[in-house]
Amino acid sequence: MTSLPTFTAKDFKSDLKPIWCPGCGDFGVLQAMYRALAAIGRPSHEIAFISGIGCSSRIPGYTTAYGFNSVHGRALPIAQGIKLARPDLLVLAAGGDGDGFSIGGGHVPHAIRRNADLTYIVMDNQIYGLTKGQLSPTSAKGRKTVTSSYGSLESAVNPLLYVLAYGAPFVAQGTPADMAGLAAIIEEAIRYPGFAFVNVQSPCVTYGEEEQQVKAQKANMKSLASLKHDPTNLLAALDLARAYGTELYTGVFYKNPQPPSTMDGLVRERQNQLALNALPREKILDLFVQK
Amino acid sequence: MRRDLIIGMAGSGGDGIVSAGESLTAACATEGYHAMMTKSFGSQIRGGESSCRVRLAIDPVLNPGGALDVAVALNWEDFLKFGAELPVGGNTVVIYDSATGVPTDKLPLTGVVPDEVFAVPIGEMARKSAGTDKAKNTIVLGLLSGWFGIVREGVMKGLRKKLAKKGPELLAANERAFQAGIEYAAAHPLRTSRLMEKPEKPGVKLLTDGNDICAAAAVFSGCQFFGGYPITPSTEVMQFLTREIWKYGGAVLQAEDEIAGVGAALGASFAGKKSMTATSGPGMSLKTEVIGLASIAELPLVIVNVQRGGPSTGMPTKSEQSDLFQAVYSAHGDVVRPVLAPTSVSDTFDVTVEAFNLAEKYQTPVIVLSDQEIAQRKEVIDPIDTSRFQVIDRLRPTAAELEAGYDRFKLTDSGISPISHPGMKGGNYLGAGIEHTEHGEPTASGAMHARMTEKRFRKFDPLRERKDLFRIEGDADAPLALIAWGSIAGVCREALALARAERLRVKLLVPYLLYPIAEGVYRRFFESVKAGLVVEQSHQGHLYRILRTQLDLPKGLRPFCRTGANPFRPSEVVDTLRDAVLEMQRRVEDTQQPQE
Repeated sequence: MTSLPTFTAKDFKSDLKPIWCPGCGDFGVLQAMYRALAAIGRPSHEIAFISGIGCSSRIPGYTTAYGFNSVHGRALPIAQGIKLARPDLLVLAAGGDGDGFSIGGGHVPHAIRRNADLTYIVMDNQIYGLTKGQLSPTSAKGRKTVTSSYGSLESAVNPLLYVLAYGAPFVAQGTPADMAGLAAIIEEAIRYPGFAFVNVQSPCVTYGEEEQQVKAQKANMKSLASLKHDPTNLLAALDLARAYGTELYTGVFYKNPQPPSTMDGLVRERQNQLALNALPREKILDLFVQK
Repeated sequence: MRRDLIIGMAGSGGDGIVSAGESLTAACATEGYHAMMTKSFGSQIRGGESSCRVRLAIDPVLNPGGALDVAVALNWEDFLKFGAELPVGGNTVVIYDSATGVPTDKLPLTGVVPDEVFAVPIGEMARKSAGTDKAKNTIVLGLLSGWFGIVREGVMKGLRKKLAKKGPELLAANERAFQAGIEYAAAHPLRTSRLMEKPEKPGVKLLTDGNDICAAAAVFSGCQFFGGYPITPSTEVMQFLTREIWKYGGAVLQAEDEIAGVGAALGASFAGKKSMTATSGPGMSLKTEVIGLASIAELPLVIVNVQRGGPSTGMPTKSEQSDLFQAVYSAHGDVVRPVLAPTSVSDTFDVTVEAFNLAEKYQTPVIVLSDQEIAQRKEVIDPIDTSRFQVIDRLRPTAAELEAGYDRFKLTDSGISPISHPGMKGGNYLGAGIEHTEHGEPTASGAMHARMTEKRFRKFDPLRERKDLFRIEGDADAPLALIAWGSIAGVCREALALARAERLRVKLLVPYLLYPIAEGVYRRFFESVKAGLVVEQSHQGHLYRILRTQLDLPKGLRPFCRTGANPFRPSEVVDTLRDAVLEMQRRVEDTQQPQE
């Protein structure tokens, strides 16, 4: 009997050098990804890692997986297309808060209701970094940026409540301030059979505020486990998620103990049921024969 | 004996006039006639007025034709709402329900005296024979069958099939109604016989429309993913695939919006599967960014745009050829995407298979510009021999290439680089919308951008030599020319025959490949041309203008255009062509005038 191949974090690290600013939270997310993927143990060529546009969306290129750094806001539709076409692949999607909750925000509810078995990681820094510091959908009300000179007039989106409200079966939050914890959360998300969402509070060193940086996070973060939160309790999860923006909770908010059926699983079932009724492809026009 | 008959019918929603047209068309198929059926409705989803045209013929039907040979009005109010679509001429036989109370010499048809007029107690006959007004459409079928000697067996067969599950009583009632129509016709013969010839040998016929056959071609080509969003008049493509694609290991995603639809389709292509999306103009606008991504990431993708009147909501149920500029020029950045257009239900199959082949071969998005007319009209066509089609799959890296260190965007002579997909060990790469090196690393190098841009253009060079993507008919050295694409090509093919019967020396060019412009094909075609028309159903004449920007056109070649929902008739194309000849002759005379 041959033993399964084992992987280390290094196996998932590509030769590309990240363009992120020194000290960017995304470095920590990347390291956590490497660790999680090594623990999962799927070879890199069986992984499809899709992103949109933004600083954080560069992440697939820094892994050895098949990456697709696509267009702004569309990581989820592309990732779902991949998963539905190829349920055998491990599919990851990632991007920033603007990518996921502004330009691509309309895709999130639909990805959740389809429940394709994929993992969506949002690197949430509450700012547009790549375009140099504009308001993002998760920027706090009143925040001053180059597009809100006198302070933002809009409330922030709460990504945790957003996905919980639409019924996401797995919802967690992490921070690079706790690398080991983040790696464990990502691994658990990938292992979850369905749509798994991880919000990572990944600070922007260039345009972020002092209290958002890793140092401050280390002082403020509270693990949900230490609060004795039961992740199968949806109402408790919703209650805790309301503190987004004021408290930094890490860990799993919600994990549906009875994973609902996945769309990719249902697609397979339907294909298997109907395959028997297929005319050969070259006879498909026989459907139009008028007898 | 006639070889061609154009029937137009109108009534109110409950009259079942479209259903009668469908029965008639299906009966044509079983009896071996060729046929074409177009429908037209008021804007209501239910009720309101509805109409259809059925053209049946011994030979393949090229277009819906001009003036009606037979007009059927269940009531005049509804009939008159379809003025331009149901033109009555001096040779038309008019049949209408005498219950309308309109005397045969006082028809509400301004300026036309039809050849023969019959006021038939259609409603009364329906009630008498079948016990219900609902059988009016079956009475009409009986009248048509009797007067024109068509589809008697076929209609009976169709009735039996259609009503098999609804019980013997309903079937018997309809058979009586059909018979009553036939007997009425026998008792009131036409002054001039208009009996149709019988098809020589019935043979097998297909009955379908452009959207369904487009979807079937996708299945034939090995398409395994469709992502899209409902939009008139393209939705039937998705609907067909929703029924069939699973049987072939494929999937359909009805997405949350147009962008997600094309995004998912592109994802499936990245994952190694042939995929497609279908939409209409407004949806095309939304998909444009992702189509740009497909171009730079060099991923195969077929995008069907069933054109309708526009811009914006425009006229969703009416045909227009006004999205060619969009197909050719809507890309951001410097890029070319092949654009193909079918001209009939039958060749929608050919064009769609070709689109998949081009997409796979050149690793590119390919746009199929269908139009509402082709997409939604029913045609009875000859079977298509699928063994004459080659199905092309994308060039994959070999095991040796994967082991030697794989470069996804390798700069090859052809510009085509072998493409891997997730699951292929050693083929791992970063697909991206960002400019990249051969290996797929993001780059901001101007030199690399120039090389990659050139590569993405170079790979299409052989496409410009594809003469087989054009149809040229008529006298090879004719001084007169017609150029037409899409559904209008069928009108011009008939116009060509009419013009040649008048001894005009004319030829016709029909491009299936609209873009990139195959300059050589046009140049050779233009060599003998002095005058002619580019016939298009749009205000601007998109193809004419594109040709002008890229080619020197013969002086006397001019656009003959009109906006959508206004059908062209073959005869007026010939009339306009004659004008072009006169204009050309005047020009020649002018240049020959001695200088004072």
